[in-house]
Amino acid sequence: MTDVLVIGAGFCGLYAAIAASKRNARVTLVASGHGGLSISHGCIDVWSSSAPSRALSRLKKTHPYRLAGKDALNTALETLDLISHDADYPFIGTLSKPTILPTAFGAIHTTAYAPLSLAQTGIQKNIPISIASIAGLRDFFPTLLSKNLEMNGYTVRRTMQLPLPGPVPQRDLYATDIAQRFADSSNRERISRLWRPRLAGVDRLGLPAVLGLHHSQRVFRSVQDLLGVELFEIPTPPPSLPGLRLENMLSDTAIKMGVDIILGSPAAGRIDHSGKNKRVSGVSLQTAGGEQNLDAHSVILATGGLLHGGLVAGRNGNIVESVFNLPVEYAESHQEWLKPSPFDEQPYEKYGLLVNSRMQPIDLHGDPIFENLFAAGGIIAGADRQIEGSRQGIDIATAQRAVEAALE
Amino acid sequence: MPSLSTELLVVGAGATGLGIAWDACLRGLKVVVVDQSGIAQGTSGRYHGLLHSGGRYAVSDPDTARECAAENAILRRIAPHAIEDTGGLYVSLDTDPPDYVPEWFGACQAIGIDVDRLSHEDVRRREPSLTTDISQAFLLNDGALDSFDLLRSLAGSIRQIGGQIWLHHQLRGFVIENNRIVAAQVFSEIEQDTILIGADIVVNSTGPWADQIAALADIHIPITHSRGTLVAIANRLTHTVIHRCRPPKDGDAIVPNWSAMVIGTTDIPVASAEELSIDPAEIDFLLHQGEELIPGVSNRRALRAWSGIRPLYNPGQRNSDTTRDVSRSHVLINHAVTDGISGFLSVFGGKLTTFRLMAEYAVDFVAKEFDIADECSTKSVPIDPQRKNYFILPSRAERLNQTGEERNDSVICECEIVTRSQIEAALQSGNHSSLDDLRRETRLGMGPCQAGFCAVRASAMAYASDEAQNALSDLVSFIERRWRGTLPLAWGPSMRQMAFTRRLYLELLDIQQLLGDDS
Repeated sequence: MTDVLVIGAGFCGLYAAIAASKRNARVTLVASGHGGLSISHGCIDVWSSSAPSRALSRLKKTHPYRLAGKDALNTALETLDLISHDADYPFIGTLSKPTILPTAFGAIHTTAYAPLSLAQTGIQKNIPISIASIAGLRDFFPTLLSKNLEMNGYTVRRTMQLPLPGPVPQRDLYATDIAQRFADSSNRERISRLWRPRLAGVDRLGLPAVLGLHHSQRVFRSVQDLLGVELFEIPTPPPSLPGLRLENMLSDTAIKMGVDIILGSPAAGRIDHSGKNKRVSGVSLQTAGGEQNLDAHSVILATGGLLHGGLVAGRNGNIVESVFNLPVEYAESHQEWLKPSPFDEQPYEKYGLLVNSRMQPIDLHGDPIFENLFAAGGIIAGADRQIEGSRQGIDIATAQRAVEAALE
Repeated sequence: MPSLSTELLVVGAGATGLGIAWDACLRGLKVVVVDQSGIAQGTSGRYHGLLHSGGRYAVSDPDTARECAAENAILRRIAPHAIEDTGGLYVSLDTDPPDYVPEWFGACQAIGIDVDRLSHEDVRRREPSLTTDISQAFLLNDGALDSFDLLRSLAGSIRQIGGQIWLHHQLRGFVIENNRIVAAQVFSEIEQDTILIGADIVVNSTGPWADQIAALADIHIPITHSRGTLVAIANRLTHTVIHRCRPPKDGDAIVPNWSAMVIGTTDIPVASAEELSIDPAEIDFLLHQGEELIPGVSNRRALRAWSGIRPLYNPGQRNSDTTRDVSRSHVLINHAVTDGISGFLSVFGGKLTTFRLMAEYAVDFVAKEFDIADECSTKSVPIDPQRKNYFILPSRAERLNQTGEERNDSVICECEIVTRSQIEAALQSGNHSSLDDLRRETRLGMGPCQAGFCAVRASAMAYASDEAQNALSDLVSFIERRWRGTLPLAWGPSMRQMAFTRRLYLELLDIQQLLGDDS
């Protein structure tokens, strides 16, 4: 019997497990697989506009931020700050002043908190920068990137392609491949010796985010020192290293705190029919060795929305919640689900579970469906987090609130 | 205004237009083809990919059936690279009207279409995913015909013998002197300029736009339009074309098309060539029909839905809810006879399978005007494939696996195995002006991820030395087009794929920041 059972191993689920563990609960985290952090920029988006706290207080009462409350967001941000410093993977930024980062497309992404390797050097319109790609790396295009940055009013002095030592690889490289080359300090020195002569006149250099997966903070500092250039990393299309580093940071922390993590086993909800109150008793896991029951005092559902499998859209225009078959809020007419351009605000992004301010999924009358079941993150209805630029903020605010309510 | 002159001006670079241009070039005529967008952009590129055996029309339209049977044999000779020899299975289900089969069988024999009766065991062995509710089954020689591959190679062959094809050139008006069309004003989207093309004869082969083009010469063509919708499934569940052996109805053909499988089609009367948006009921209907033949098909991953517009000649202008009875065989109008304007023909309708024959009829007529005695030779002159077997996915995979210079070639589109060097070659050919053109040329972005991963890579290559704004607007419109093709299929894996693409573009790349207020 565990105190808190978290379902889902994405940013939201991992955070919930740590937050519960910090409150001295026994925590088990189960998931059918890794979460979505390999497609994440690894930053903490809270709100896209420059004045988040004003915007947040104007949201509808049913918006996940309003339901979770400002305190939950602030507590979560503080907690995350502590975790990241303890793990030597610090984030910088503040809620009051947004951090501005170039994307791999040369657009400007506004976020609240970003890892140091992305944000420390920073970009400013009056300071020229240079952009380099690395030979063999796919999905990073310095010319395209700098032309778009210039369209945004920035000055790019040089673009270049930097080679890797050794034989030319016989296949395209991903960010994860190149990160391995930076793991070893003698390798870093070899690479830097090759690069240094090519960086004449460069003092601020943007690189694809490839500088190490583990101990990346140390790797970043050492490469920056070896090159004698101020560096900033730009997240690549998947696999995105800053996302993976964030995943590692959270799962390492969770494990250190004693969280029991079980990946690779899809969970099916179990309902407790014994008492007179409606409760869940836990889940049954499909493991390689057969079905296994896990019992918990409280369950936090952090399985994500339609992209991550917490919600599943069927062909008949229905959407089901995948673990407890909870009622889902969505438009009955399939035609209303999507707008004709992906750049439009999308109704389907707002579909999900209706919850109360304790993050309990509720029925149409507003009553909790199970008194010990809580939801967090993308499975909650009410926000197009892409347009809002609120994904990670909602993840941790709702997770924080769910943990507090579960342990009340 | 810049000007030039030609003997034959063909408007429209679909199957009909390119077929006519090819035939005319082979007979020694000087030919220019113009198209408002690209090759196979209209109905020709929006069909199910079926090479008819003729069986489908044996009862309802024996003339068309006979033409299909003959052209099937010819196309297998002159364009084998674009054809997959799947065979066609005509199945009658227990619930289908039993009287139809003997009638159909007799009609096929009368026309001379070879029909092999298959036992239940043979059907099961050949196509195990088919329903067991089959009462009778017959094998004919239908096939899969890739119209992109066919028309791309046809365009290359036309250019090789001196024909000119100008894409992104839109016909804007005619110069008419003494009731004869003597020239056409053509607007070049590339040069942003109007060109005057003098021509002895103009052929209007613009399919569903034929009425709009004729209207530029103040001529009315009574066309009605019918939308046919198709759904591609990301897996092949049969290796044979499957027809329902019953009086032709909607949704009764399934065509395995190289790596995918297409279910079609519907028949919805619409007002114009532009009414392409799909009614969700059409998708439900098609999947339901597919389910009757292949149980479980509707739970497979749907790849994309699209629709094409059939131009139907309808001089009687009947008000009818169904357009299926209206003439589908091809139409050749000599406007000298019908409208008193000479030097102007309209050719439209017909099927992709019989495009060569339509062209032959049309060019026979043109040759008479020019006093050319040369006979049509398109029956026997092979179409140069240009790039052999390029459009077949396994052959692209095989090539990638070869040692040698291509070994270091990187893959830009993983789903369709399109490599960097293939895209570079396409870019150098100068036939493209957008990522969508590049897609038709190389199959970029046509697989399950629908360009989610490859669009930015291709954009970075195509616009390496162009302005950022041009690259951005083309990329956005490409992504939006791919998105629209999966809109009616947004459930299960397609839904997740769409959500993934949106996440990638809006969050990780944050492209909408560059769109600013336009988004």
